[in-house]
This record gives sequence, structure tokens and C-alpha cells, in this order.
Amino acid sequence: MADKDVIVVGGGISGTTAAVEAAEAGLEAVIVEKNPYLGGRVSQLFRYFPKLCPPYCGLEINFRRIRNNPKVSYHTQAVVESVSGAAGDFKVSIRKNPRYVNEKCTSCGECVKVCPVERDNEYNFGLDKTRAIYLPHELAFPMRYVIDMSVCKGSACAECVKVCKYGAIDLEMQPETVEVSAGNVVYATGWNPYDASKIENLNADTIPNVVTNMVMERMAAPNGPTKGAIVRPSDGKEVKKIAFAQCAGSRDRNNLEYCSAVCCMASLKQATYIREKYPEDAEATIFYIDLRAPGKYEDFLRKLQEDEKVTMRKGKVAKIEEDSATGDVIVTLEDVFGSGKVEERFDMVVLATGMEPAAVSDKPASAVLEKNGFIDAGASADGIHAAGVARRPSDVAESVQGATGAALKCMQTVREVSNV
Amino acid sequence: MAEDTVDNSQADAADESAEAATEESAEATEAAAVATEGTEEGAAAGGVEGEAAEGGEEGAGEEAGEAVAAAPAAVEAEPLRPDISFVRDIVNSGGSDLKKCYQCATCSVVCNVTPDDHPFPRKEMQYAQWGLKDKLMGSPDIWLCHQCSDCIAQCPRDAKPGTVMQAIAKMTISNYSVAGIAKAAGNLGGTLLLAIIPTIIIIIALAAQGSFGEIPRGHDGEIVYSEFMATSKAIDPMFSFFFLFSGLLFFLGARKYWRDMVRNHEASGGAKPGSFLSNIGPTLSEFLTHKRFRECDETEDRANAHLLVFYSFVGLFLTTAWAVVYFYIVGWHSPFPFTNPIKWLGNISAAAGIIGITMVLIYRFNHAERVGIGSYFDWSLIITIYIIMVTGIGAEVLRVADVAALAYPVYAIHLISVLFLFMYMPFSKMAHMVYRMVALVFARATGRDTGVA
Repeated sequence: MADKDVIVVGGGISGTTAAVEAAEAGLEAVIVEKNPYLGGRVSQLFRYFPKLCPPYCGLEINFRRIRNNPKVSYHTQAVVESVSGAAGDFKVSIRKNPRYVNEKCTSCGECVKVCPVERDNEYNFGLDKTRAIYLPHELAFPMRYVIDMSVCKGSACAECVKVCKYGAIDLEMQPETVEVSAGNVVYATGWNPYDASKIENLNADTIPNVVTNMVMERMAAPNGPTKGAIVRPSDGKEVKKIAFAQCAGSRDRNNLEYCSAVCCMASLKQATYIREKYPEDAEATIFYIDLRAPGKYEDFLRKLQEDEKVTMRKGKVAKIEEDSATGDVIVTLEDVFGSGKVEERFDMVVLATGMEPAAVSDKPASAVLEKNGFIDAGASADGIHAAGVARRPSDVAESVQGATGAALKCMQTVREVSNV
Repeated sequence: MAEDTVDNSQADAADESAEAATEESAEATEAAAVATEGTEEGAAAGGVEGEAAEGGEEGAGEEAGEAVAAAPAAVEAEPLRPDISFVRDIVNSGGSDLKKCYQCATCSVVCNVTPDDHPFPRKEMQYAQWGLKDKLMGSPDIWLCHQCSDCIAQCPRDAKPGTVMQAIAKMTISNYSVAGIAKAAGNLGGTLLLAIIPTIIIIIALAAQGSFGEIPRGHDGEIVYSEFMATSKAIDPMFSFFFLFSGLLFFLGARKYWRDMVRNHEASGGAKPGSFLSNIGPTLSEFLTHKRFRECDETEDRANAHLLVFYSFVGLFLTTAWAVVYFYIVGWHSPFPFTNPIKWLGNISAAAGIIGITMVLIYRFNHAERVGIGSYFDWSLIITIYIIMVTGIGAEVLRVADVAALAYPVYAIHLISVLFLFMYMPFSKMAHMVYRMVALVFARATGRDTGVA
């Protein structure tokens, strides 16, 4: 009998869902998350579409289910190093990296006040800094500080250790590797935003007021680097005229070959952010090849079409330049339903960059990847499953449904194995 | 979609001319096609089958409905005439990736030589997918394209718009010359068949002069090519005849092309264009510097390579004219001594030619990974020019080195290859010099493109 029925690799919305759904059906599940917090990409979003509620609605529910269910456990800062064996009895080797902060932490924040070292905050895509000891984000689960040992001065400094009243900081923590056996492995490894600097014709990395859609989420979020103000990175000016460049790197054989499935809806959603911030005079223009608002999402699209300050123009943004005097961004496209090349000036341009499966860089040990790096569970061994964007580009709702499906698959495997 | 002119077009169509209405309905149907393409894309992406297909189909139905709705306004206008065999021809002429295009218009934006108003090549991709031959044949834009290949490098779908443009250009050549010969010139088997004719002509001419007997020699025993192939009795009449005949075909083709462009231009409401002659000056002066070529990003280096070949041809043409003056007016016969300026011009031109065409070759290989190696049409001209340059220089070197056994055969191949070039100019890529010039002059005459800065 294996230690666990299910090992879920990745603790985002898909992974946590797969784990709690399996656990609530009676299976023993464990989540292995590489970040120091659960929640993944969804935690970085300001709002979900189409209801425009904050993602923590959904995440909090999953976290509560995890807290209340003894059949589900999790490791943060942990990665799966190898998987061997077969369905029913996989041997999984998990490397747990040290957090340097133990469960005694109360998140009082005294340590941060004395920490002398700064680091780029990758959670906010480098838009701000944290100290070497930091809380991953305001709503982090688990609510516990963590030390980035790549910048921390260690025991030579230890200022944080001195001020921590709870004895929660241990700079000598070591990584450990544990072996767990499990009936199933669910890969819910998620995605990374596509690196916009790879898009040859857009100069995204050289123009400060060209940002990606994920940066836009962080800017709009009240717990983000600008505390929710949508302002230009170059000069902090309020963004009143914004452009969304769709398919920035998606559906493009030079970049991501596939449609990332959520960017149209994400841009429509983000257009509401700015319209809400400055209802009087903010203007948003969405430049698209095809607008994809499938199923019920079409209602969301129609609502935005009724807003006369939101313009949708068919024609891909294929050139972006900066007016260095003003910091404005000038985009060029051919207006396909118009009559020619158009140059238009904006305060800021949001690139609707797509989702690249994390498996491209993580290289999961036992899953079969299709050519774009998504996990092909059907082609993988029995007992290997995939959920969320690890499986295919999908939005939150679909990821959650897929994760439930993966939990069902795990139950089937457990049953088959016990019948043998 | 708030901004879709599909909606606006219905209101506008009533006010505008019937022709304009055709345009609008084309746009609406275009939208439908795009939506359908989107469906395929979604399925191909593997990530969003269900959703994209749903959205796509719905979009398609909607847009198509509007296309139908717009149709009554277009009744009096020319209906669109899709020509399926035309599409097939484009696909077979190198445009095999045509149907991958999903009309994002990246190509039109990254193109540095297109006018901003109704830019190419996005619309040409659409016309080509639909087989709208008339729109493409009588269009200056096909030849305003200089094969920079920026569009090919940046195309997200690898639809190779530049290659499609060239396939259409090739069909323009065919359309305005003799289709059968042009078709033959478009593949290796046909080219070899065509090459038999100049070969036979040269062989007959040599046989008639008895040049296959003992090795011909000049008065002092040196190699003299006019003893092998007589200048006034053989070369000049033959080459002049075929050169002028090709010139006549060019004139007829160019005139028809010009008239088709005028007709399309006026049919879409354009003002009467200026005359050819009053607009050719600035166009020619643009050729002299190859300014337009230098607008290319991806293949910027082509400008100098092409410039060398261009001036080589100009120089060799002048050399020939000069030799005619020496022969018929002054009474001097070749070979001329190396101290004579005619030799300087001829040899410098030949050197420019061989260097230029070698650069063309090298650049093509260098660029192949990003923009492709080019079509058969390109290569047959490059190889023809190569053979002409190598045999021309080779004949001179062998003559001076006095290697008669090789010199005369090499000279014969040189004559055959030059005759081949002359005879088939109107059918080969060589015709680009005429059609591109006519297109550029037309674009200037209509104000569509008044030159590069």
C-alpha cells in the first residue's frame, strides 16, 4: 500500500482543487509546491473574469478545505526530483528547500524592519523590492515569512534572528529529500507568462511603458506594487489612454504556436479596470486578430462593446515605438476593416502575452509532453495525470473542472489497483 | 464589434458607388473567412477546441449574414469572381503556404516599401486565397514589392506573404506574355526544352559557317571569335532579332498591364493617372541608387548585390553599343586591345556581374533559414546569369591564354546562354525589370507612391 493515493505537483488553483477533491472523496493527497505559498498564478490576479470578483474568493475556499481535511497535506518550496514505479505505487523523490522560518512565525513583520538586504520582488514581476526576509504576499498561504538565501547575508548578519521574539528563524535549516510512494501523480505545474522580449518586432523589453498583461494585473491589484494605481512605469503618470495588443507572441510560429485561450478575455477584463478607475475619460483600444469570447463569455464582450470608450480594432500590433520626449508609446498596425496602416499614440500598451507551460522549463520526470510543452496525460503512463494549464491553455473555471476530472482519474486508478 | 466596419459598411454602402459596395461586401465576406480561419486555428492549437470553435462559428455565421445583407447594394456591381485554378497556380508557383494566412496584417506593418494606404501584402493574401485574379493582375502593388522578405521573417503563420507575392508576380509575367512559354520557363524540364532552341540556332549558325572544321584562327594565328561566329552576318542579325522581338513582347505586355491598372484604378473611383513618360524620370533615377531596395530590413544586403548586377547589365549593354559603333562606323573589328577603353568598360562590367551574382548567391544562402531560399523562378535567372558571366569571362581568359580547344566551346556556350536570356526575357524573371518599372511609374502617376525618401 502506497503512502499516499495522490501526489499533486503544483499548488495553484488546479493543484489545490485536484488535491481537495480527491481528499474529500476519501483519498490521501499531498501537494508539492515549489513556491513558498500556495495559490500560484491566480493569487497574482486582481480579478477573475467574467464576474470580476477577486481571486481570493476561490483560493480561500480551497485553503479552508485544505486546513479542514486531514487527508490532504502540502509541502511548499518543494520540487519533485524523480518519479519511478508504476500506477498504484510510484516512488516519488521530493526535495524540500529550507524556508529558514518555522511554524512559530506569527507574521508580525519585526524581522523585515531590521533586514538590510533588498531583492527584486518576482511576485510583482520586479516592479518593487522586498527584503531578504519577506512575506510572499499579503494574503500568502501559509501566512509565514521566508528568507531568500541567495541574497541573505546569513549568520554574519542575523539581525532578524535577534529581533524575532518567537524563535521562528533558523538560518541553519538544510534542504532535505523525502521519498514518498503514491498511487497517482497529478501534474498541475501551471504556466509562466511568455517572455515578451522574445517577440522580435515589438521591442517590449526596451520601452518602459509597454507592459505585459500579468504586470497589469499586479498594478491593478490593491496589494500590488502601485497599490492598485494604474500608472506608467516610466513616470508614474495616470494611464488614461491604453492599448491592448492581442496575440503578443501567441498563435505565432516564431513564439508560442498555440492560442493561449485566455488573453482576449483577460484584456477585455483589464479594459474594465481602467474604465472603472477613470470612468470619465479613460479610453481603451483592443487590437486583435480574432476576438475569442467563447460561450457565455460573449455577454462580457457585448457589454464592453457597448462602452463607447472601449474600441476594438481588427489588426495586429506589429510595431511598437517610443516617443522618448513624452514616454508615449506609438503602435503601428493595419486596420483590416479600415483602409490602411495606422499609427496611434497611447499612454501605455499592454501586451496580451500568452501562457507558456511551466513544464517547458520544469521538465517533469515522468510525463509525456506534446510539442508545445503541455502534458499529454493520455500518452503518459497509467496513473500520471495532468490538470489546469499544464494540460492545455485554459481559464480558471475550466482549470478547476479539469482538476476535478483529474481527481476522478486518481480514484479510478486507486480502485483498479486495489482490485488486482 | 463596436469598431468593425462590417457594421458601418451597410450604412455606407447605400451612399457609395456600386463599385464601392462590391468592396464592402468583399470586406464582410472577408470577415467571415477570417472567423472560419479562427475556428481552424483554435482546433489546431489543441488548447481551445471547444471554445474557439464555438466562438469562431458563431462569428462566421454572423459576419456571413452581414455579407448577405450587404449583397443587395452590390447587385449592380461586378460580382466577385473566384478563380480556383488561379489559386492552384499560385500554390504551385511557390505560394504553397498561402492558406495558412489568418489576416493579422503583421506583414503590411513590417513592410517598409508598401504605401500606408491600402498596404500590401495582407490584402493580396486575401485576394489570392479567394482567387480574385483580376484584382491581382492589374495591380501595381504586386511589383512594388521588392522581395525584402521582412514579411516572411515576421509572419506568425509562416504563410510566406513575400513568396506568394512573387508567385503572383510570376503569374503577371505569364498573363502578359505567352502563357505556355512562361509556364515552361517555370520548371526545370520546361527550361531545358526551351534551351534546346537557342542551342540549335547557334549550332546551325556555326555549321553554316563551317566552324566545326579546323580550328579558326586570325591572321597572326591567334584566337578570333568572329572567325568562329561572324559578327555582321551571324551574331548581330540573330541577337538583334531576338532582342527586338522580346522588346516588342515587353512593349505589348507592359501596355496591357498599364491599361489594366488604369481600368482597375478608375473603376475604384481613382482620378485619371498621369502619363507614363512624364513619370518615368524620377523612377529611373531611383533605380540608379537602388534606394527602395535599401528600405529592406531582413535582406538589406541585397541592395548592393543587385546594384552590381544591374550596373553590370547596363555596362555590358553600353559595351555592345560601343562595339557596334566601332564595327559599323569606325570599321574596327574585335578583339580590341586591352588599352582600348571599350575593354575597360566591358571587363569592369563583367567583373561587377560575376561579383554581384556571387553576392546574390551567398546572401540567398545566408538568408535561407529565416526567409527561404527562393523559388525555381529566381534560381533559373540566377543560374542563367552565372553561366553568362562565367562563360563570358572564361572565353576572354581562354582566348588570351590561347587555349583554343576550350575557348571556342566556352564561347559557344556563352552565345547560347545569352541568346537564351534574350529569347526568354519576357517569360523569365528577367521580365521583372519591365513590370516593376511600369508598376513604379504607375504608382507615381496615380500618387499612390511618389518615391522613397
